[in-house]
Amino acid sequence: MLVESLSLGFALFFTPLTLGLTLAGLLFGLLVGALPGLGPLMGIILMLPVAIGQQPIAAMGFLIAIFVGGSCGGSISAILLRIPGTPLAAATLFDGYPMAQKGRAGDAIGIAIASSALGGLFGGVVLILFAPLLAEFASGFAPPEYTVLAVTGLTAIVVISGGSLIKGLLAGCFGLLLATIGTDEFSTGYRFTFGSHHMLNGFHIVAVVVGLFAISEMAFQIMGRGLTSKPDIPMVRASFSSIALTLGHWVNLLRSSAIGAFFGSLPGAGGVISSFTAYAAAKAAARPEEKYGEGAEGGIVATESANNATVGGTLVPSLALGIPGDAASAVLIGALLILGFFPGPTLFEQQPEIAGGVFLVYLTSNVFLLFAGILTTPVFVYVLRLRKSHLIPIVLLLCAIGTFALQASIFDLWVMLAFGLIGILFRAADYPLAPVVIGTILGPLLENNYRRSLLISQDGHWIFLERPVSAVLIAINILLISGAIWFALRQRNRDGHSPLASNM
Amino acid sequence: MTKRHAEYLVMVFFVCLIGVVFQQIATSMTQQGIASGTPYDNAAAYPRAVAVFMGGLLIFGIVAGWRQTRSGHSLSPAEMMRPAGLLGLFAVYLFALGILGYHLSTPPMLVALLWLGGYRRPVPALIYGLGISFGAAFLFEVFLKIVLPGGFWRLNIPW
Repeated sequence: MLVESLSLGFALFFTPLTLGLTLAGLLFGLLVGALPGLGPLMGIILMLPVAIGQQPIAAMGFLIAIFVGGSCGGSISAILLRIPGTPLAAATLFDGYPMAQKGRAGDAIGIAIASSALGGLFGGVVLILFAPLLAEFASGFAPPEYTVLAVTGLTAIVVISGGSLIKGLLAGCFGLLLATIGTDEFSTGYRFTFGSHHMLNGFHIVAVVVGLFAISEMAFQIMGRGLTSKPDIPMVRASFSSIALTLGHWVNLLRSSAIGAFFGSLPGAGGVISSFTAYAAAKAAARPEEKYGEGAEGGIVATESANNATVGGTLVPSLALGIPGDAASAVLIGALLILGFFPGPTLFEQQPEIAGGVFLVYLTSNVFLLFAGILTTPVFVYVLRLRKSHLIPIVLLLCAIGTFALQASIFDLWVMLAFGLIGILFRAADYPLAPVVIGTILGPLLENNYRRSLLISQDGHWIFLERPVSAVLIAINILLISGAIWFALRQRNRDGHSPLASNM
Repeated sequence: MTKRHAEYLVMVFFVCLIGVVFQQIATSMTQQGIASGTPYDNAAAYPRAVAVFMGGLLIFGIVAGWRQTRSGHSLSPAEMMRPAGLLGLFAVYLFALGILGYHLSTPPMLVALLWLGGYRRPVPALIYGLGISFGAAFLFEVFLKIVLPGGFWRLNIPW
C-alpha cells in the first residue's frame, strides 16, 4: 500500500509546477514565520485562494511548504530581535538570542534551520509509516465510530490546548452550527439561508477563516505602538557548517523530533507544547557545562526540531482520519476538501496517488528548507526591517483579493469582514478561534455520520455504546472532560478562580 | 472596553445565535417539512441539539464564572480608534469595490491604511499604494487568471 502510494504519487509530484510551488511555498512560509504576528497559519490562509486554482499535489505542496517554512521562520526573529515570529519559536529565544549576543547569530539561525529541516524529515518518516497504518485501522469504521471520532477530535483540541473549557466548547459548537448553513445533504431542505442564494452552500470556509484569523489579527496589530519604526538589525548569513553543528547533537535531535512527532499527532497539543517539552527534556539531559539559557546550541536544536517534527505528526490524524490536529491542519483539510478529496481511509484506498504525493511534497519541503533556508537567510533578515505600517495594508489586500478570487463574489468579502468582527470580539473575550474552524471542518463529518448511525441503529443512541471502538472513544471523551474539570477545580482551589469558566 | 464587556457581547451574540436557530426551526424548516420525522428527513434535530448544548454551556459558564469575573485591561476609546478605523475603511472599500472597481478603489484604501498606521509622508505613500495595487493586480490577473472587479465602468487592464 505504502510503496504503491509513493510510486503513484511520484508522477504527480515530480513536475516543475509542484517543485516550483513547493519551493515558493517554503520561502513564503519562512517570510511569514519571520515576521512577528503572522506565522504559518496566516501564511496558509493568505495563500489558500492561490493554491486552490492549481493541480491538487502542487496546491498541497505549496500549502504544506508554507506550514513547514512558517514553523521554522519564527526562529529568525526570536534569535535576532528576541521576539519570536510565531509562538512556536518562543522557546528558541532562550538560547538563540544569547547566542546571537555572543556574535554567533549566523550559527544560531543555521542551527535553527538545520534542526527544523531534520526534525521535519523525522516527522515525515513518522507520517509515512503511521498514516497508512492508522488509515487501514480506520477503514473498518462505520458511522458510529466516525461520529464519536469527530466529537473526540473537537474535545481533544478544546481540552488539550488549554484555556477555558467552556469557551473552547462554545467556540467549537459555533463552528458546528456554521457548518449546518446551506442545503441539507439528506433532505435537500434549506437551513439558515434566509432566502439568499448566496447562502445555499453555506459560507465559504476560506472567507470564514480569513476573517476570523487574518482580519482580526490585523485589527489587533494596528492597535500596537511603533508601527512606523524600523528595527535596526545587522546583516547575518548562515552557513552549511551549521548542519554539522546540528548533527553533533544527534541524540537531542532524535529525542526532540520524537517528542514533536508524538505531540503533533495528538489533536490540540501542537508545536508550542512540544517545543517547550523538548527543551525541558534536553536541558534535563544536558551536561552542566553546556549552559542552557546562555546560548547553548542544544537548546535551539531541541526546540526547532520538535516544532517542525510536530508538522509531520499533525498530518497523521489529518490525512488518515480527517481529524485535524490544529487550526493550520484544519485549513489544510479544508483545502483538500475544496480540491475534491476527502481525507480519511478512503483517500488511501481510492486515491493513493494523492496521499503519496502529499508525503513526497512534505519530505521535499524539508529538504528544500535545509538548503534554500540557509542560502536565503539574508533575505529574511532584511525583511525583518519592514515597517508594520507597510505590512498591514499588504496583508489586508491579499485577504481581499484572495477571498474574492474564490468565487468572484463580493458577498464572500462581506462574510470575511463579518467574521473579522466576530474574531476581534472572540479575541477580546479570550475565546479561542481554532475550535471554530475545526468545528466548521468537522461539522459535516459529525452530522452526516450521526444521522446515518441513527438510521442504521435498532436501539437509538445505544448504538454508540454497542460498538467497541466508539465505546472506547466515548470513554476517552469522558476522561478528557473529567480530567479538564478536575484540573480546573484543583487550580481554582489553589488560585481562587476557575479556568473552567475563566472570567465568564 | 474591558474584557468583561467583550465577554458580555459574546454572550449576547451566542444568545442571539441560539434564538435564530430556534426561530428558523419554528418557521422556515417547519414550512419546508424538514423539522421532524426520521433522522433522514429531520434536518432540524442536529442544529437544535447543538444549540441546546450551547445554551447549557452558556448557563453553566455564567453560573460558574460570574463571581470570578475580573475586569482586566481596559481599552481606551483612543486605542480602539485604529481597529475601528481599519474595519470602517475596509467596509467603505468593499462598497467602493462594486461601484468603482478594483483599480480606482484599492490605491486610496492602501494609502488610507498607511495613514491610519501612522505613516505621514504623502508621496512615498502614494507610490506605495499604486505600486502594491498594480503589483497585486498583475500577479492575480496575469498569473492566476482572476478577473478583478471592474465596477460600473468595467475598468480592467488588458495585461
